[in-house]
Amino acid sequence: MKYAFLVALREYADNAKTKGFWIGIFLFPIILTISITVPEYLEDATPTRHFVLIDQSGEFVEVIEGGLNKLHLIDVVKDMQKYVAKHAKKPEGQDTKIDLEDVPAIDSMEAKVDEYLRTLETGPMSELGDAELEAMKKQVAPLLEEGAPEFEKPSKKFKLVGVPTEIQEEIDAQTGPDAPVLTDSEKIDLISESLRPYLSGEKKITVDGEETELFAAVLIPKNIQDVIIRPGPKMLAIQDRAGIQFWCTNVADNDLKKEIERVVNKEIRSREYLAENLDSVKVNNIQNTRVPFASLNPRKERGKEEVSLADQIRQWAPVGFVYLLWIGIFTITQMLLNNTIEEKSNRIIEVLLSSVTARELMLGKLLGIAGVGLTMISAWMLSLVVVLTVKSGPESEFAVQLFEVLKTSGLLPKFAVYFLLGYLIYSGIFLAIGSVCNTLKDAQNLMGPVMLIMIIPLMTMMFIPRDPHGVLATVMSWIPIYSPFIMMNRAAADPPMFDLVGTFIMMVVTAAFVLWMTGKIFRTGILRSGQPPRIVEMFRWLKAPK
Amino acid sequence: MSETVLEVQNVTKMYGDFRAVDDISFSIPSGVIHGFLGPNGAGKTTTIRMILEILQPTEGSIQVFGAGALAVRERIGYLPEEKGLYKKMKAWAIIAYFATLKGMSRKDAKHRAYELLERYGLKDFADKKTEALSKGMGQKVQVLASIAHDPDLVILDEPFSGLDPVNQQVMEEIIRDMAGRDKTILFSTHVMQHAERLCDRILLIAGGKKIFDGSIAESKKSLPRRVRIETEDSIDSLAQIDGVVELRAIDGEGAPTEARVGPHWELLLGDQLDAQAILEACFAKSIRLKRFDQSDPTLHEVFVHLVGPEAREASYR
Repeated sequence: MKYAFLVALREYADNAKTKGFWIGIFLFPIILTISITVPEYLEDATPTRHFVLIDQSGEFVEVIEGGLNKLHLIDVVKDMQKYVAKHAKKPEGQDTKIDLEDVPAIDSMEAKVDEYLRTLETGPMSELGDAELEAMKKQVAPLLEEGAPEFEKPSKKFKLVGVPTEIQEEIDAQTGPDAPVLTDSEKIDLISESLRPYLSGEKKITVDGEETELFAAVLIPKNIQDVIIRPGPKMLAIQDRAGIQFWCTNVADNDLKKEIERVVNKEIRSREYLAENLDSVKVNNIQNTRVPFASLNPRKERGKEEVSLADQIRQWAPVGFVYLLWIGIFTITQMLLNNTIEEKSNRIIEVLLSSVTARELMLGKLLGIAGVGLTMISAWMLSLVVVLTVKSGPESEFAVQLFEVLKTSGLLPKFAVYFLLGYLIYSGIFLAIGSVCNTLKDAQNLMGPVMLIMIIPLMTMMFIPRDPHGVLATVMSWIPIYSPFIMMNRAAADPPMFDLVGTFIMMVVTAAFVLWMTGKIFRTGILRSGQPPRIVEMFRWLKAPK
Repeated sequence: MSETVLEVQNVTKMYGDFRAVDDISFSIPSGVIHGFLGPNGAGKTTTIRMILEILQPTEGSIQVFGAGALAVRERIGYLPEEKGLYKKMKAWAIIAYFATLKGMSRKDAKHRAYELLERYGLKDFADKKTEALSKGMGQKVQVLASIAHDPDLVILDEPFSGLDPVNQQVMEEIIRDMAGRDKTILFSTHVMQHAERLCDRILLIAGGKKIFDGSIAESKKSLPRRVRIETEDSIDSLAQIDGVVELRAIDGEGAPTEARVGPHWELLLGDQLDAQAILEACFAKSIRLKRFDQSDPTLHEVFVHLVGPEAREASYR
């Protein structure tokens, strides 16, 4: 045992000194921090986006502006909530900040905004005035701690700007006295053609004396009334391009497009109501009637069954752990393979075997690399906790909830257990491969098929949480080489006790069996030189006595 | 001080149907330098591995210091034939690591590693990774690693291969130095000069079988005494002398040839015949000699004689 320990110590020191090990350790917290910080940052840092609106029908400018005002109001309210959360007074005698869910003022503010939005939907919304903002500020003032900074209104995300002169000329030429005879769609085509260089960034527009990029252009043809699609027996086949055209190179940011589509359709519909002699306000009110709808989870405590962000996280966090498990296990088993092959190809193995038994050597290697793995995942878990602690706060609801889930779900201990079991199973396989190969190239040939089999839990990891007790999940849980990953995948969904305990026992037995087999192969294979043996030959080794 | 260090009894090793080592027995007393000779594939490395308990013999028993090798691992040092080191480890750390595997404490092992590196001129490389060392230096480090724990029995498999003449000299010194301190050394080699210079005794195996085991002087007695002469004259008359067993033609190097044209000849003598008598006969029969050589056969000749045709393969390694 003393000698196994010496071998383990060397393996540990040797691998802990590699660059890959340190990159692995530091990469995780960096990625984690980035993935929490960047969305936050992007949200704050997205510059105002400018777009032009060419409405040849002249009917929708007001409507679209109203939609933009609504988007802005929502942003203001969101920021206001964050602001209050950040600077809220601490309740007397307590260290922690107040739980905002319990503050009626915030609730009522949200409700008011809701109501405000709804009532105003009867007509285009006007821009948020200073007076209204002041009123909101007054409402939250009593909640704030002393010395809280002034609330800053977020800038508008989308801003309607004037048409560049060049385009205006094009428009003017179309309407001027010597204008050629063109159809509406031909006119729109000509305009969009001259807008192209602005939209693709080749040309800049000037806003308030500063050059900036044109984010999008919205083109509404004169005959928009004629291209409305009405369901029914006489439904016309109308091309999408005949209606409103939204030109934009950015396909990821859909907010503007969606809002314009929404408000214009809303406007069109209210006109239809009018045409049918219906009271549009009534219709609107009716459209906004609803039954309360709650999503509940029977597994949760009585009275707190509402599905929250935490539940979402609880469902999906195991996916992250499966990924870590996979990376962790294969990083270190790869180390095991490399070291074994190094010893073999250098023939150091002979010197080692003159000092320690094959069993001690194998045990030492397993222990040493397990140490490397435990160091690595401990560092990951530690950095997870540290990053979440630092990042937790009003700015990142996600971090708070994730932290809460980790503390209460038992995912971490399960991760540790599945990591160890997975490591033992796979280390056995890799050690056996390493012991029969003389060069890394031989090993890679054998590794190819192994990798194909091993990649499967990564491919299924996104599907398992959708149906954590389904056929796929259950069947794969009982395949020993997949069991650690799939059971981790299912961990948050409380798998049946039978699966939980059964697969645990199965994994322990598998690990023991694999290691026993590896012991036999290792002892014989490790001294072999030349071609890797055939499978049949390896079976013979298994039967060989000591 | 003639304790038996190593006792090999009727050892056989089978690989499937192949008999790699065939019923070999020998023993090595304490304090001698024992050469282990044999052509390629003779079973030397397999035998050494069995001695070290890396392999288990199919039949027979091996005892080192009266026990299994691993039980007395701290008394054995081993340098394998193919040399290699951990590339990313520092020179001192490798020596210390192998020494701790032989039971030394980590502190002593480190101290000892630096001491050895300094003594053998590698002081400046002690803190270098072994991948930065030249092949010869790396090999020296490995030799030091195998003797760092001051073993009583050192087994060296081809210790001279890959070393330049200066370092071969150093290697010889290491071996002599250890023998001087009453350590026992078993080394295999295919360079007969080394064996001849260093060994007290030799063990010769071929085809898995033991061919010879004894002192060098004894090994030379296994060959009939011989006289080599060079002359342009006819020497048929010498073959008539009583006690001359055989007269054969050889080439300039001493290898037998088919064509009996001279000028090189070799006479094998019977036990009772003195080489001086041949010289007298030459004078009497007016054979003009260019060369007359009655020196002992070299170990190489003994080797060729004992191993037979297989030896050719070995000598061209």
